[in-house]
Amino acid sequence: MNSPFNAHVEELMDQFRERLPLLKQLEQLAFQSLYRFLKQQGLYVTAIEHRIKDEKSLQKKLELKGNKYHSIDDVTDLVGLRIITFYTDDVDKIAAIVKNEFEVDWQNSVDKRKLHQLTSFGYNSLHYICKLPKSIVDNEAINNIRFELQMRTALQHVWSTIEHDTGYKGSVQLPNEYRRQFSRLAGMLELIDDEFSRLRTTLSDYRRQMQALVKSGQLEEVPLSSDTFRHYLELHPFERLNERIAAVNQAEIYPASPLPFLKLFKEFRMETLKDIDQFIKDNSEDAYQLALSQLAMTDLDILSENVGLQNLCFVYVLKNGGGRPGIKHVYDILNGKQESNGMLAEIILQQAANLPFMHNNL
Amino acid sequence: MKTTIKEQDGNLVAILEGRLDTAAAPQTEKDLKAIYDCSGQDIILDCTVLTYISSSGLRLFLGVQKTAKLKGSHVYIKGINNEIRNVFAMTGFINLFEFK
Repeated sequence: MNSPFNAHVEELMDQFRERLPLLKQLEQLAFQSLYRFLKQQGLYVTAIEHRIKDEKSLQKKLELKGNKYHSIDDVTDLVGLRIITFYTDDVDKIAAIVKNEFEVDWQNSVDKRKLHQLTSFGYNSLHYICKLPKSIVDNEAINNIRFELQMRTALQHVWSTIEHDTGYKGSVQLPNEYRRQFSRLAGMLELIDDEFSRLRTTLSDYRRQMQALVKSGQLEEVPLSSDTFRHYLELHPFERLNERIAAVNQAEIYPASPLPFLKLFKEFRMETLKDIDQFIKDNSEDAYQLALSQLAMTDLDILSENVGLQNLCFVYVLKNGGGRPGIKHVYDILNGKQESNGMLAEIILQQAANLPFMHNNL
Repeated sequence: MKTTIKEQDGNLVAILEGRLDTAAAPQTEKDLKAIYDCSGQDIILDCTVLTYISSSGLRLFLGVQKTAKLKGSHVYIKGINNEIRNVFAMTGFINLFEFK
């Protein structure tokens, strides 16, 4: 025979089944809005998870705490979303966005990060209970349903998942020795989270500093890396040479990324942006002459934006005695190793044969 | 200039035959419609019997690649002769394509 308590649980379960279509709509709307807000702010996260509480889990919860709930609307996590961030700073940033875009029920929201004693570590996560405002959906039935939003870092997520898997928070009290092991791990994860955030800030500062040096022309102080090379490209260092080459056939310049050439610069032992700058100054005239010897006899009027740079590399290799194997190696790096690279190197060698720089070198 | 499109092992293959010059490019572009309409399959531009390529031909190849990339398709160029390979090399486009 059903007790009044069981009847209450059944009534709540019936209300849940009735609400399901609305809950599904709410789940999708909340997820899509959140995704859009993060994208607008340029925030990249590890994952956004979303779910509707499954019947079994709800039944279990109601059997344990059913008295607490007068109606199913009092259960605040029927729809749940979880944002997992890379960095701990981003949890606060996302919280600020959520405060702005959703209606937060402050009475029921918890910052579990602040619940710990000064001497303990553990589950650190930020939970908000929210509602969708009319600006997102103008439907009172949906606007009135609360949902739970958890915000945590990837490492907090690892902690929480392992804690759940081991049943640490279960009914059996763990001996102090094992509890201490958990606490030590939580403390370590918190420290790593903070260090990752600090590293990100340090790297951002370094990038800004390098960018400023590039802009002010202090290239000798800027080590060559993909990051600094990108900043350097904003100065359009190959543009003048490309324009000269393009003028041969009044050609159009087709955009292409010079980043594949970075590997070559490393092989040429170039260490700073000043080395690249010098490489352009020293070889531009000869690179132009080499391109001219290739293109003047054709009517090719579309060229890659890398046309100047590739000829600079050929000239540099030939001036440094690299010969055919050196040119083939340039092609191997840029195109991947292919049998035909030898044939292309041979053609470059023939086209360069009568140019002055080849004879100065002898 | 003759263009034949076929499906092979889940890939879209365009067999290009003859001289892809300025005069032939507009018709070839029309013939490549199925390639532009691709939906994620890999694309093979079979140039085994292509004897010549002009700037208009290069523009066509670049257009195919741009469209394919947006749809998540890869473009492979198969069987080009040394003369055409050299056109790709001296214009700086050789490392923008994958060759088979």
